[in-house]
Amino acid sequence: MAAADSPSAALRRDLCSRGIRLAGKMRADVVDLLDAYVEQQGLDASASVAAVEGVPLAAVERWDEQTGTQRLLQNLAAYRAFRALLAQMLEEQREQLGEADAGLGRALAALLLQVSAFAYHLEELLRLESRGIPGEEEGDEEEEDGPPPPPRLSLFEQKLRGLGVLRELAQWAVRSVRDLRQLAKPSPATGAA
Amino acid sequence: LGDPQNLKCVTHNLQKMLCTWDISSRGRHGQSDFCYTTNDLTPQVCFKTKERRVEIPVPESSITVTIKSSGTSFATKEFVIHQKDVSFVPDTPHILSLLPDFPTSTLNLKWSDNGSVFPYGLDALWQIQILRKEAMEIVTQVTYYSKLTQEDVIISWNWTSDMPLECTSHYVKIRCYVNATQFVGPKDWSDWSPAEVIPGKDTEPGGSGVFPLDPVVAVGSDLTFCCVHEEDQRVTNMTYGSKSYRMMQLSSRSHAIRVLNASVSNSSGTNVVCRLENGLEGSVVFVGYAPDIPQNLSCETSNFLTIKCTWKPGRPSGLYGERRTKYSLFERTSGKNVSCEVNEGSKDHVCGFPVLPDQKTYDFILGVSNPIGQAQSSLSVDITQRVHPKTPEKLTVTGNNCTSIQLRWFINGSFAEIRLLCQIEISSSQSERKLHNVSVPGRKSSTYTAQLNALHPDTKYQFRVRCAAADHFWRWSDWSRGVEQTTAEA
Repeated sequence: MAAADSPSAALRRDLCSRGIRLAGKMRADVVDLLDAYVEQQGLDASASVAAVEGVPLAAVERWDEQTGTQRLLQNLAAYRAFRALLAQMLEEQREQLGEADAGLGRALAALLLQVSAFAYHLEELLRLESRGIPGEEEGDEEEEDGPPPPPRLSLFEQKLRGLGVLRELAQWAVRSVRDLRQLAKPSPATGAA
Repeated sequence: LGDPQNLKCVTHNLQKMLCTWDISSRGRHGQSDFCYTTNDLTPQVCFKTKERRVEIPVPESSITVTIKSSGTSFATKEFVIHQKDVSFVPDTPHILSLLPDFPTSTLNLKWSDNGSVFPYGLDALWQIQILRKEAMEIVTQVTYYSKLTQEDVIISWNWTSDMPLECTSHYVKIRCYVNATQFVGPKDWSDWSPAEVIPGKDTEPGGSGVFPLDPVVAVGSDLTFCCVHEEDQRVTNMTYGSKSYRMMQLSSRSHAIRVLNASVSNSSGTNVVCRLENGLEGSVVFVGYAPDIPQNLSCETSNFLTIKCTWKPGRPSGLYGERRTKYSLFERTSGKNVSCEVNEGSKDHVCGFPVLPDQKTYDFILGVSNPIGQAQSSLSVDITQRVHPKTPEKLTVTGNNCTSIQLRWFINGSFAEIRLLCQIEISSSQSERKLHNVSVPGRKSSTYTAQLNALHPDTKYQFRVRCAAADHFWRWSDWSRGVEQTTAEA
């Protein structure tokens, strides 16, 4: 493992602090977008949304016992999932609204970019940990019979799912900041399997 | 004792009648001799029966019946039955099919009018009863008229419910009355047919949800939404948009609200939310307008390659995305159809149609449709009379002396079939702005030239040019960019 002041430790601290800023910005944008989304979709801000299939939950047990690699791997899996979910939301947005309310579409597209950038950032950190980067979820073209497409949701279910995705992404952004702060601490245990 | 009594006759088809009678208790199990004759000229017809019911012809006027019961004691009774004593009750109708069309909440009912059983054409009345809910409450009763034509005709009838068919079970039954004016006996309605049912989602396990699901309706509609839920779930409230509505119970698993005179929804639709104790069900309704008839449809070509049609769309539909208003341009002569890329919010409504070889006249129909309705506008146009050239480009001075200047410019487009009229604007500080017209044969994506004479020596001039069709003027192109030139000294 890298000594406290070696170049890679310094690089890791730098990547962590940039990651923390990215996650903080992402969180602020998600919160803004959430307000606009609730209003634009005519939803009730206090609506309780059941756990949405395919949306990674930010809440985790025994958070403080996790290794650095576990944190990074879980973060990366989550933001890859959010990348796919946001892309689907954007597609549905265009399908349902076309040109109407392009503002929400642009905000969604911007958030998608941030999530993609943050996922890439996490991959950088994993490379630093000389960890292999897990492949994207199987199910890309070569996989003949990938997981069956999820059943088509009704429009109201799509709206609720969007709400669930944005709420959970906001929670993840908070968790990512805490994870990255934990990673940035110079401790021997960091990165142990 | 043992006398036949209470002889009653009923006909279902005006041709045969079913006569029944009673026999007092002691004679009930024996056999009877049944004879009848319609008048003195025809021989008596007799037969034995144990049933105390026989089917015999309906009398023109009267029929004499003799019944001899042969139980423990012989008893004979004669009856004279007049047509006026015979009741006419049509057979109970039989529903052939009852089919739901859920998207339009319409029931299609088919039944046979059984006309072949009657001896002649008759007027028939049918009463159709629609019932709903677990309690089978009557929603409506409709009377339908038809003519019986001695053939069995299948009658098809539609009814549109004011609530989605999914909300609760709908039942239908029918009965009929035949207006046999020539028959003098008492006439009555048939019995009701057995009820046919279209089960609601509230009878299906796991059928929960809000219905209709994601409908598109016209502004001003009165709407009924229902929330189908599991038996053990309680509905706390149902909202349309941000407003809560009083609920009506349809069944133990279905509650409904009624929204009157719905107003236009916003772009993402109006949410109809059913709040249950442990969850949400919902639907999104899009309330908009049918498309207006497009106004000021106009078509022109700038290059004889593409015809550009423009129009005024009228009132926005309020529908977006996949529900937006769509436009298509159909040309009758060639049969060619083009769908137009037009966005709901965009200011200009434009559609391009290819110029077809050897076709000058175009008979256009602009079709407009969205999920609520459709409209169309038509226009017939000879494109050689609708030429609006593009802006002339690359205006340059190609020759120059003290009193004349030669200009050259380029116009994109193939105008080989027409002559062009080009207008050159000549301005200078010493004289007023002058316009010089020149007519040139059109060519395909070509340059054109003109010579300007009688200019003043040593004078700075500004020139620009615009063109139009010479023979059938339609519209000038825009002015080209200007070019400046000073004539040579004398």
